[in-house]
Amino acid sequence: MMDRLNDFLRQRAAAGSIALADAGEAATAFHSTLLEVEELALGLGIMPLRHLRNGLGCQEQLRLLRARVAVIGCGGLGGSIAALLARIGIGRLRLVDPDCFEEHNLNRQQFATVDSLGRPKTEAARTAIRSINPAVIVEAVVRPFAETDIEAVDIVVDGLDDAGKRLELAAYCTKLARPLVHGAVREWHGQTGVATARNRLLATLYPGMGQGGAAKPPVNVLAPTVTLIAAIQAAETCKLILGIDSPLARSWMLCDLLDDVFEQFPA
Amino acid sequence: MRVTVKLFAFFRDGRFKEEGREYPTGTVVGDIVDGLGIGRDEVGVVMINSRQHSLQSPIAEGDVIAIFPVIGGG
Repeated sequence: MMDRLNDFLRQRAAAGSIALADAGEAATAFHSTLLEVEELALGLGIMPLRHLRNGLGCQEQLRLLRARVAVIGCGGLGGSIAALLARIGIGRLRLVDPDCFEEHNLNRQQFATVDSLGRPKTEAARTAIRSINPAVIVEAVVRPFAETDIEAVDIVVDGLDDAGKRLELAAYCTKLARPLVHGAVREWHGQTGVATARNRLLATLYPGMGQGGAAKPPVNVLAPTVTLIAAIQAAETCKLILGIDSPLARSWMLCDLLDDVFEQFPA
Repeated sequence: MRVTVKLFAFFRDGRFKEEGREYPTGTVVGDIVDGLGIGRDEVGVVMINSRQHSLQSPIAEGDVIAIFPVIGGG
């Protein structure tokens, strides 16, 4: 069957790429998932048309498709990160958040709409991602994050909104040797960096705060700040998957949207 | 003694970005924070001369003290 599927993809490929409709037809005809078809096509050197303008080689795009990424917290940062990772072609996303959308999320959260109010954030994200990129396998987890969520993936992205929970997440990532792409926002300011086994980034950024400490009242956050920091986190995630060295593995960056200053400091 | 204090992000609101300031011998970073009307639990990273320190760290003549807020939203 695999040979016939390969032949089908080669026949339908035009100028080295294959359209979504053809990939979808192959998935139906050969009882495969769209992700499996796209993986197979990339293995044959055929680029899914939807990814053509990523400008990546087939082997690089294949690495993205085969990656498993957890987005912990699916509100402002997490929602925008999930949308970006789906667009660039990360194959498997595990979205974890216990909350449902509320009206005060509408100012900044990608998947918060008047229609999604009251729905679990991760389930609304899964529905929306299906129409962005139906090949992506999205697991929508509606509960607080647990060690098993970290164990199931290659890379973890921080979309949390609480310092104590971030330290707890960082402890799981350290224990299981998963890189943690950190981001946090407040008003016109955001920070980001990659926590690895070689640095103690979260302990540096949140000193004197024990895990599970008293929760702080919610802070004010603007949509442009969220989108900016989420974009950097998504880029860092892809660079990790593709093996591209990043200054943010050795430093953290503070982004000030009032003065338009981005400064890096040693991690 | 005279030091340079740098504030970051919203700590600058109604204060300053960078300022030369006088403090008595024995001052620690936490005293500077208190004097600026900043809650100690609002402070994240503290650096003296580009190296990580804490609110308990003493300061010395000519030091550059950088004080960053906790940024925790998502």
